[in-house]
Amino acid sequence: MGIPIKFEQRIDSPRWLILAVPVASLIAALLVGSIFLLATGHPPLDTFNSLLRGSFTTHRGFTNTLGLATILICTGLAAGFAFQMNLYNIGGEGQLYLGMIGGAWAGIALGDHFPGYLAVLLTLLFGALAGGLWVTVPAITKARFGTSEIVSTLLLNYVALNLVNYFIFGSKGFFRDPSTAFPQGRKVPDSVRLDAFGKTQTYPTIFLSVLLAVFLFWLIKKSEFGYRIKVLADSPKAAGYAGINAPRLTLSVLVISGALAGLGGAMLVVGPTGKLDPGVAGIGLGYAGIVVAALARYNFVAIILASVLFAGLRVGGDSLQISTDVPIHIAVIIQGAVLIFALGGEVFRKYRIRIVRPGSAVGVAV
Amino acid sequence: MNNNIWLLTFADSISIATTLILASLGALLTERSGVINLGVEGVLLMGVASTFLVSDGTGNPWLALVIGTCVGALLAMVHAVLCVVLRANQIVSGLALVIFCTGLANFLAKPIEGKPKRVQLNAIDFGPLSDIPIIGPLIFGHDLITYVTWLIVISASAYMFRTRPGLTLRAVGDDPATVDSQGLPVAAIRFGYTMAGGALMGLAGGWFMLARSAAWQQQATTNGIGWIALALVVFAAWRPLRLVFGAVLFGFTLQLPFTLQAEQIKVIPAAILPMIPYLVTLAALIAMSTPRARAVLGAPKALGQPFVRDER
Repeated sequence: MGIPIKFEQRIDSPRWLILAVPVASLIAALLVGSIFLLATGHPPLDTFNSLLRGSFTTHRGFTNTLGLATILICTGLAAGFAFQMNLYNIGGEGQLYLGMIGGAWAGIALGDHFPGYLAVLLTLLFGALAGGLWVTVPAITKARFGTSEIVSTLLLNYVALNLVNYFIFGSKGFFRDPSTAFPQGRKVPDSVRLDAFGKTQTYPTIFLSVLLAVFLFWLIKKSEFGYRIKVLADSPKAAGYAGINAPRLTLSVLVISGALAGLGGAMLVVGPTGKLDPGVAGIGLGYAGIVVAALARYNFVAIILASVLFAGLRVGGDSLQISTDVPIHIAVIIQGAVLIFALGGEVFRKYRIRIVRPGSAVGVAV
Repeated sequence: MNNNIWLLTFADSISIATTLILASLGALLTERSGVINLGVEGVLLMGVASTFLVSDGTGNPWLALVIGTCVGALLAMVHAVLCVVLRANQIVSGLALVIFCTGLANFLAKPIEGKPKRVQLNAIDFGPLSDIPIIGPLIFGHDLITYVTWLIVISASAYMFRTRPGLTLRAVGDDPATVDSQGLPVAAIRFGYTMAGGALMGLAGGWFMLARSAAWQQQATTNGIGWIALALVVFAAWRPLRLVFGAVLFGFTLQLPFTLQAEQIKVIPAAILPMIPYLVTLAALIAMSTPRARAVLGAPKALGQPFVRDER
């Protein structure tokens, strides 16, 4: 007895499924979104249409999407890089805030003492550094004791959020703009900020994000460092025999992952925000990065595409909130649903599924 | 220093522990069956949102709690379908659930944003018992669900360690192959406990809304309590009764910032105050994973691994 379904492991999955699963997931997720839209009295087609106009089909919408995708690629790479070694860095959100803190600090403190491009570089560097440092406690305890990095990195998100709020709302310190009554971050000098392309929200940092994705793709596939990561991920035992220092590799992978998310935060400082901005917390870029990475099945180049898609959902959701009365959260529902369906669809890629007729040994292939 | 305020703080810690006990008991049951559900924070939030919506619409707190519980079970079913039936990655599935639930809760609860709640659960009137010094406010100052929760956690412990189905539950998380060879349906058992766990998480959210929360404030309503509940399961070494102790302790860390602020006690810098619950949880999590602690702990051995009979 039992469930009359049989899973047969596929040796390699058909090519068309690799594309079909994400596309079908997106369609299914839009259907789920439609149900909730209908239930709350919003017309789904019109809603999706204005969502598209706000994100992809207009010049303004698409450049906004690319601007957000720039940061999302970083947090996506952060989650994706850790996953190469079966590590789950759920702390991208907090590491992004720290990247903003580190970047804003470097921008304000060092910006005037260095020529333009060097100052930008330093800001990005300090952001990455801060993000990397933020993950050291989970990284060391994971490497040393095997403490679940999932929960530890996540708990630090709340700590980081409170830290940002303290810097801006709770104190009148370094990061707070002294000239305004309403609490907001102190701007970095203009020399530290990059110019956007024309009148768009897309910044040159997008090239850096894309380059990083390609570099990491190469690093994992071709470099010796990437090879060690793969060996340890596939078989810790074999890694031990090969003399790979597992704790040290765990530490470096997690710190690099944190630095990537931190870099995303610093990109916000040199680009759109120009300051430590607590408003970024509402976007959930760090969490979305995990979804993006999972949807791209941890392929760094696919992360670029998934980031553009998700950034579009987010940006489109924002414009919905302005042009219609549909809450922006519909975009988050669709994001979550895409991942849920993609996970479910994964089974078709991994297994051939047969329905077993009771009493017969021969199954019917589906 | 005012004694009264500390007594109130302890009473509040015991009260807020109700949510932590229910949510982490849900996670504990799920994990004991070998499935890890990281979606707690999301399911909790949906429990809060659906309970608020129903209680706002009907004015009936009990109906609202029932709906909140069912919503929790249904959402956990999504996780069960993905992880138990389709053998998806349990970690990613749990995270997907958090994101989906956060979006859904914020979407559905949009109309009630900023609205005061219509009904709330009040403490049971124990008459003179509540006037007993110290014990009165600590033990006899709670609402019905808090006492039901105590009953649930004691029964859960008895069930797990004293009954046959409880033995099966533990076995299915430790050694599913053996359970399978006894002719018991591993997948169905895991599916059931994952849903039961979700129901408890939904109830946890519902109670939190009706008893502790003032209004709906998007994801800040639960503010990471679900994640603390997950860490609590490790802290309690997957044993329900230890959960109670841990929940009161973590409940205290959640309550402490408010008390220190209200009393203007400045032993801890204002910047760190709201971080206390998360930092304490992190410290506890690390302490529980040191080799010495690990020896006495006992995570279910097949936790997070799908059971596949064919590949044995």
